Amino acid sequence: MGNRLGVLSISLFALLFSIPILIILLSLFNEYSENWFHIYNTVLSEYVLNSFILFFGVSVGVFILGVPTAWIVATSDFKFKKIISCALVLPFAVPPYIMAYSFTGLFDSYGTANELIRTAFDTADNYVFFPSIRNIGGAIIVFSLTLYPYIYLISYNAFLNQSRDIFDVSRTLGLSKIKTFFKIGIPITRPAIVAGLMIVAMETLSDFGAVEHFAVPTFTTGIFRAWFGLYDLTTAKQLAANLFIIFLVLIAIEKFSRRKINYINNSISNKNLTITKLKGKWESVAIAICLIPIIFGFLIPSSQLLYWTINYKLSFFDQNLLYTIFNSVYLALISGLFCIVIGTLINYLLRINKSKFLSLLNNIITSGYGIPGIVLSVGILNFFLFLDESLNVFLIGTVLGLIFAYSIKFYALPNSSIQSGLKKISVNLDDVTKTMGYNKIKLLLKVHVPLLRNSYLTGILIFMIDVIKELPMTLILRPFNFNTLSVSAYTYAADERMVEAAAPSIAIIMVCLIPIFFVFKSIKETTDE
Amino acid sequence: MSNLKISQISFSYSDKTILKNLSLQLNKGEITCLIGESGSGKTTLLRIISGLDRQDSGIISYGNETIADDKIFTETHLRNIGLVVQERALFPHLNIIENICFGLNSSKREKIKRGRELMDKFNILKYESFFPHQISSGEQQRVALARALAPSPRVILMDEPFSSLDRALKFSLRNETKQILKNENITALLVSHDFNDALEVADKLAIIHEGSIIQVGEPRNVVLNPINKYIKKQFVCETGDILYWKSIINSEK
Amino acid sequence: MFKSYFFLFFLFTSSVFSQEIVNLYTSRHYDSDIELYDKFEEKTGIKVNYVSGKGKALIQRIKSEGLNCPADIFITVDAGNLWRIQKDNLFQKIKSNKIKKILDSKYVDSNGNWIGLAKRYRVIVYNPEKIDSLRMSKINYEDLASDEFKNRIVIRSSSNIYNQSLLSSLIYHNGENYTKKWLLNFVGNFARKPQGNDRAQIMAVANGEADIAIVNHYYIGIMLSGKAGQKQRESALKVKVAFPNQQNRGTMVNVSGGGILKNSPNYKNAIKFLEFLLEEESQRHIVSNTYEYPIIDDLDPSPIIKKLGSNIVEDSLPVEVLGEMNPKAVKMMDVAGWR
Repeated sequence: MGNRLGVLSISLFALLFSIPILIILLSLFNEYSENWFHIYNTVLSEYVLNSFILFFGVSVGVFILGVPTAWIVATSDFKFKKIISCALVLPFAVPPYIMAYSFTGLFDSYGTANELIRTAFDTADNYVFFPSIRNIGGAIIVFSLTLYPYIYLISYNAFLNQSRDIFDVSRTLGLSKIKTFFKIGIPITRPAIVAGLMIVAMETLSDFGAVEHFAVPTFTTGIFRAWFGLYDLTTAKQLAANLFIIFLVLIAIEKFSRRKINYINNSISNKNLTITKLKGKWESVAIAICLIPIIFGFLIPSSQLLYWTINYKLSFFDQNLLYTIFNSVYLALISGLFCIVIGTLINYLLRINKSKFLSLLNNIITSGYGIPGIVLSVGILNFFLFLDESLNVFLIGTVLGLIFAYSIKFYALPNSSIQSGLKKISVNLDDVTKTMGYNKIKLLLKVHVPLLRNSYLTGILIFMIDVIKELPMTLILRPFNFNTLSVSAYTYAADERMVEAAAPSIAIIMVCLIPIFFVFKSIKETTDE
Repeated sequence: MSNLKISQISFSYSDKTILKNLSLQLNKGEITCLIGESGSGKTTLLRIISGLDRQDSGIISYGNETIADDKIFTETHLRNIGLVVQERALFPHLNIIENICFGLNSSKREKIKRGRELMDKFNILKYESFFPHQISSGEQQRVALARALAPSPRVILMDEPFSSLDRALKFSLRNETKQILKNENITALLVSHDFNDALEVADKLAIIHEGSIIQVGEPRNVVLNPINKYIKKQFVCETGDILYWKSIINSEK
Repeated sequence: MFKSYFFLFFLFTSSVFSQEIVNLYTSRHYDSDIELYDKFEEKTGIKVNYVSGKGKALIQRIKSEGLNCPADIFITVDAGNLWRIQKDNLFQKIKSNKIKKILDSKYVDSNGNWIGLAKRYRVIVYNPEKIDSLRMSKINYEDLASDEFKNRIVIRSSSNIYNQSLLSSLIYHNGENYTKKWLLNFVGNFARKPQGNDRAQIMAVANGEADIAIVNHYYIGIMLSGKAGQKQRESALKVKVAFPNQQNRGTMVNVSGGGILKNSPNYKNAIKFLEFLLEEESQRHIVSNTYEYPIIDDLDPSPIIKKLGSNIVEDSLPVEVLGEMNPKAVKMMDVAGWR
């Protein structure tokens, strides 16, 4: 009985949580205006094609940058390994739009890199060495460089969770380490990697800033065009809903691929992977492979930003900054904790009671991640309006409203780490605990929650990084006189006043470094234990 | 006619000595069983022989060829030494025949031929296109053995291959394994804590204790003439029934 | 621990101070505007609370907040947005004799719902080494579609509101059929795929990638001022600015403007604030920081901008054109392949 009551109340809560998303989704049943058909007939095919190329290219990019580096770090030992393994996560701290700005600052025809070449080789004033990066190729590179850490972290974790036996046996069967990586390493961690690619896809396809900067019109461009250009919010919502459905399909595919290889987790062993000590040529190769993403994804953009900061806007670092940092961090922390609680309750209930309805709701909230923030905030505004009219609860322009918005947008991140954490807890453990007289609540609090400690840590920290980087929802839903780091950066970046935006961007990166460090430490500790 | 020769191997891991000047010879076509309690260094020895770990000192050679010493170190994948681990470690993303043929380098047709041949020997032909999680643990063990045998390794190493099976299954699998190893004339080193494995399968029994071999010989001979009380107790505990064991312990007091 | 967080919610959500306030939603996000708010508080004791964001998104917020909307004033950088608010009947009349007196009636909405605060022109930037300055002094927007400029024009993407407004004005003046043809030829004259913002277009001209760019005038001001670095200043010095259609209807102008929202809780303070923004000192502050043109007469723009030109003939098209024509303009751009 109590069980059913729990499911019911949590389902209701989850429903409340998913209303803003449902508001967007329900627009599918609205009448399609002539604007819809205009977009459909003229530009949609180009947007879809671009989105697809971007999705495909970024998937390949993050895979190439993330998986081999994770394999190298997980299975071998080389000079500076500790620093390198940590540094590989750093590009995570750079929001894609900021990386886009700093890359154009570098590689545009009048950018720093071309200037250097001109000075160094004394060529003509308008000589251009680096090819233009304001195109889909440039967008793919920038997204790959900022988003590969997802894949790196996820596959690193997945490699560490494999029993070493499987890799060892492969090697005794005549496969070198490199071949073992391709024939065993990749296929066996595929479900984890695919899950990571999902997150990358959502993040890429819901972005607006970077693609706009690179002049690559994608699906999101269409959404903005309908709303801002054609003054047609309904069509904008309908486009977003279509994007959303694509994500639901992708999630279904991901679930399916995961189901097929689910049994891998059953053979988890606590034997650490065989670590090969690399020497000579191989050591250099390994270091080089790991340094490429660090240099291009972090060192180059952040030194460009640092250069701008030092030259033009050091004044940014005053006590106001502390206030701004405080806003960013405490908002991220509270909404993160909130998501952890909700995520735990929902996933625990799904574990002990396979409610299809709740599972559907959970999927819906999860895919909120794929809705561009500004569209999601329309759903949230509508929802708040409803709350105001029916319950007299006023949330727009309050911190509570912002927390609610962040929670909906980024719930997917803690959810996925809680989900995978729960999967690792054997059902037998539940049964044994129950025989010892623990009821379901005690089981959750005394067994699952302590065991999920590391999942919580990873989930909340990744969540926090994303909140700190978040922009469009913060802009529209914030209270008066309320600044976060990303808002400060945007204020200038919106006008491509990158030189001035550099200081807050550096601040974002620095603040994000702290959780990044903890994420990595927590993952390492899990496996070292 | 010495085949695989391990001489004076030492190995320590984070200041803990695991193997101490260990020497052992495996003769061509002979099945050797290495018995010791957990923590005695059995698994480490297998890892060193297969090249997954490198000894601190000592020499491993095969015939006239040195596989590993202070200077030379042949990588695992070039040693042509088969390995069967306790947890089987089947590749979950490959079906049974793909698992078995994994280490083969010949044409697809020949691979399948060799795979089927082995599956036939182990009586698992009907599972050809099953995935590992769909078959029982005894069958999984057969697959693991067949997979290690498929590339006709110079030596096959088996780490507790029968320990997680029930008695009846152990009995039949031991017989099958022995027959197949003998038919293929493969040198084998079987690591176990169960003297029955040695008695039923092995030509030679070696006892490992605290990182060194303390007795080697024909299995029955070792069991009947243990050189010290430790081996005797070990044997009695592993094979005898509980009442007998208790009476022995008590009589010694 | 949680108690203190709830305390923080209150801190941020409600104005716990009994101080006089005026609440502002603005899509102008300049540091110099914030300095202006401080000056206003200094002068009147009225504190300015603000939320800045994208114009259309703020409009959505205003609509959702309905009667509870705490904002008194909405300020935006595009007259089309002002028209949207007015159409949804969310403004109220600005009753101020002072404003009436200061401001030329063409910068006040005919219903008295909103006023202009500063002006920006959509100008042509060109490379004087490649194009004759005399020719450019007589240039019209209409000329940009001629073969003369084949592969020589750069402009930012059609998502940009200033481009949409420009096209709306052309539709208004020349009719749909003419503009459709014009647009096809114009797009055919692009030297590259539209990319970057106005500043990037100026850089492209300075760098020889193209000969002509269409931009808002104040970007030149910012670049010339050196605030954005020496490199940008040098680039800006290489180009010249032409104001189109000076021989006829005048150059396309858009305003930054604002109005008082229907449910304004602090109407009197809002009036004071708008009046304050039109004072000479405030106007001087705005134009010397943002390089816009002042909305009031008798005040010169920043010296850098003044050099570009003064007494500019302005296109006097009714502002609702910008709002009403906009969807049409966007669709036309889509069809013509301007991305």
